[in-house]
Amino acid sequence: MNGTAKRDFKLLIVDDSNIVRRRIERSQEFEELRLVGTAGNGAEALELFSRTDPDVVTMDLTMPEMDGIECIGHMVAMKPSVRILVISALADKATAVEAMERGANGFLNKPFTDRQLNEAIAELLR
Amino acid sequence: MTAAGNWGSRYILAIGIGAALAVAMGAALLMGFRLATQLHADIGSLQTASALQAYPIEVGRELDSLREHLEVRAYEGNARAALGESVRHFDENFRALQAADHGDAARLDRINTQWRRFHALIDPVIGFHAEPYIDSDTAGTILSQAGRAQFARVRRASLYAAEHAQALRHELAAITGRLQTAASAAAVRLRGLLLGGVLAALVLAAAAAWLLISRSRHERAAREAQERTRDIMRTVREGFFLLDAGHRIGSVWSDALIRMFNREDFAGLSFHDLLKDLVPSETLATAAKYINLLWGERAHENLMKSINPLSQVQIIRENERGVKETRYLQFDFHRVSGPRGIKHVLCSVGDITSSVLLSRELQESQGNANAQLDMLIGMMRTDPVQLVSFLDTADAGLRLINAIMKEPARSDAEFRRKLEGLLRELHSLKGEAAALELHSIAERLHALEDLVGACEARQELSGADFLPLVLKLDEMLAHLRGVREIASRLALTRETPAPAAHDPLATTLETMAAQLARDHGKRWRFDASGLAGVPPRYAQTVKDCLIQMLRNSAVHGIETPQLRRSRAKSEIGRVSVAFRRGEGGYELLFEDDGAGIAPETVKEAALRKHLITESEAAAMDSRAAMALIFRPGLSTAAGVSMDAGRGVGMDVVARCIRAAGGRIGVSTNPGKFTRFKITLPATDDSDSAVA
Repeated sequence: MNGTAKRDFKLLIVDDSNIVRRRIERSQEFEELRLVGTAGNGAEALELFSRTDPDVVTMDLTMPEMDGIECIGHMVAMKPSVRILVISALADKATAVEAMERGANGFLNKPFTDRQLNEAIAELLR
Repeated sequence: MTAAGNWGSRYILAIGIGAALAVAMGAALLMGFRLATQLHADIGSLQTASALQAYPIEVGRELDSLREHLEVRAYEGNARAALGESVRHFDENFRALQAADHGDAARLDRINTQWRRFHALIDPVIGFHAEPYIDSDTAGTILSQAGRAQFARVRRASLYAAEHAQALRHELAAITGRLQTAASAAAVRLRGLLLGGVLAALVLAAAAAWLLISRSRHERAAREAQERTRDIMRTVREGFFLLDAGHRIGSVWSDALIRMFNREDFAGLSFHDLLKDLVPSETLATAAKYINLLWGERAHENLMKSINPLSQVQIIRENERGVKETRYLQFDFHRVSGPRGIKHVLCSVGDITSSVLLSRELQESQGNANAQLDMLIGMMRTDPVQLVSFLDTADAGLRLINAIMKEPARSDAEFRRKLEGLLRELHSLKGEAAALELHSIAERLHALEDLVGACEARQELSGADFLPLVLKLDEMLAHLRGVREIASRLALTRETPAPAAHDPLATTLETMAAQLARDHGKRWRFDASGLAGVPPRYAQTVKDCLIQMLRNSAVHGIETPQLRRSRAKSEIGRVSVAFRRGEGGYELLFEDDGAGIAPETVKEAALRKHLITESEAAAMDSRAAMALIFRPGLSTAAGVSMDAGRGVGMDVVARCIRAAGGRIGVSTNPGKFTRFKITLPATDDSDSAVA
């Protein structure tokens, strides 16, 4: 943004499986990403979102309480500049397009490799 | 594009030059006109001046002529009139010259002064009207007094003329000379202007010609480029077109689209209309959103490619012969950017039918290969003796099925009895195949069961309904022959059957128990004891029955871990089998600590299946109700799976036991356990074996 100083990005990980949450947290290799919270469902995610004001969110789609698609809509409404990477096992294109339309910035299919995850995040931060 | 821009600026330059030249030419023409006007006036003055030049001398000569007339006493009236005429002409012309020429006012003034003096002398001469002569007898005709006075005036005037006429003429000649010089200078200027005008016109013509030529060249180049584009679009095998922001197709598209979509009205057609009859409306809606996202520029190309909902679209269309065929189309979208963002979206459409079919074939053959491999692995895991025994059983079972099929049947009820027999045989065969992990055989048997089930659901049955079954049975037999052949090859390669670590029947059941637990999401511990002591005569019966009961435990008996937890039971269930010698024979105990069987549930199921009537149900005590589970056609499972729900199971067990001369009993406590107790009569060989 301004000058050469590296900007810090606050990261929020949303997934109903804590294995996946830990996996994302450990596999991402970006120094500028600082984890501010993890959530296991949409409602919790929104609560954390409004409290921690993250810049980057990884988002599962099928979750209890509130699904990811709805959650994306709320987040983008709260903070239009947020960058959201959807990480979902739902492989159908309609879901992906729907998520993008709601304001997601990237899409990654589960299962994913570390490399795919990092490439997707790099694309998101660009 | 740059060439066109270049051309545009050159065009503007040429227009500018042309306009400047036209203005210059207009100015030259205007100046020429003014010059010509002045030249005309100068020439008029010149003519007047040169005419005036002759007059002073002329007037002098006329004065002389008048004097001579007077001297010879001739009639002098005409001479005087001519003089008057000349003077009047001079006056007129001089006034004209004064009016026209402003070049040399001083000289004109001098001429005027001189002329006025001359004029003053001449005027009385001209104004003379008396008789100049008188006749006398002595001297003849002599001048009268007035005549003498006239004569004196004429002489004075004549003298003045002789003295000044030449000077006056010179002054006038000087004016003439000056006017001549001015006129010729104006003529030179005019010539120069005309030359300039002609040159400008020539340049203008040249510029116009250049403009025309370069324009036609440019048009030709554009036409050629257009033709080339058209050639490409005609020849290329992919469908190409551009979409605008309103999702409308542009005027340039490739001919391959005609073959793909059987239409030609692409220009201006909306993308929605192109696909509305070809793909489901949900896909179409997703595609529209997708194209909007492309215009949004937010997501990069690779991501957009990965979420393309039209990357493989199945359509049904008529081919050239009017036959409907299924094709697969691949739509690819690329953004076309201009200086002010995205201009169009380029869409390419490819017919990927052959590659889709090929990959499907590949998948199928891979699947077949996997199935064969599965079977091979299953067979290798299976004890060869057991495998051969299964194959024998299967052969016998299928022969029995064949026999059932051949039984003559006429009425619907008879057909239905046949179907029931078929189902029972198939079900028990399937159970054994699954226990031996021969999945390929189990799946085939399951498919066959489905077919029989579909027959059963029909309103009226006839012999024709059994035809597809016969075909499937043939296939099944061929498959079994294949398995047997592989088995015999395996037997050749293996040296000796590996000695069983412990009882083979217990191993089979343990494998099956583990498999069933996995398939149904349940957890239990399986214990078997005494199975090594099963006499050979009962081996098949005991195995068949145990397989069936194990499956019942998996489906109906043991609850899911969550349910068990909520019922305050250990999450891990227990299924135990024990075989032992009893009084006067053998005893087989099968027990699980699952949900048990509620007599009411059994009654309800039997009522649903019309096995008993309402009144019968009401009259039944719980013992009689429990006996219903050994009746054919009863099932309490909600769905149909590989393992239960087809309404055969415990009736097969009961039939087997009875055929072997034994008895079966059940005791249960709903929510706690189910226990089957089977007793079999003693056999001679077993007696000796055990003793």
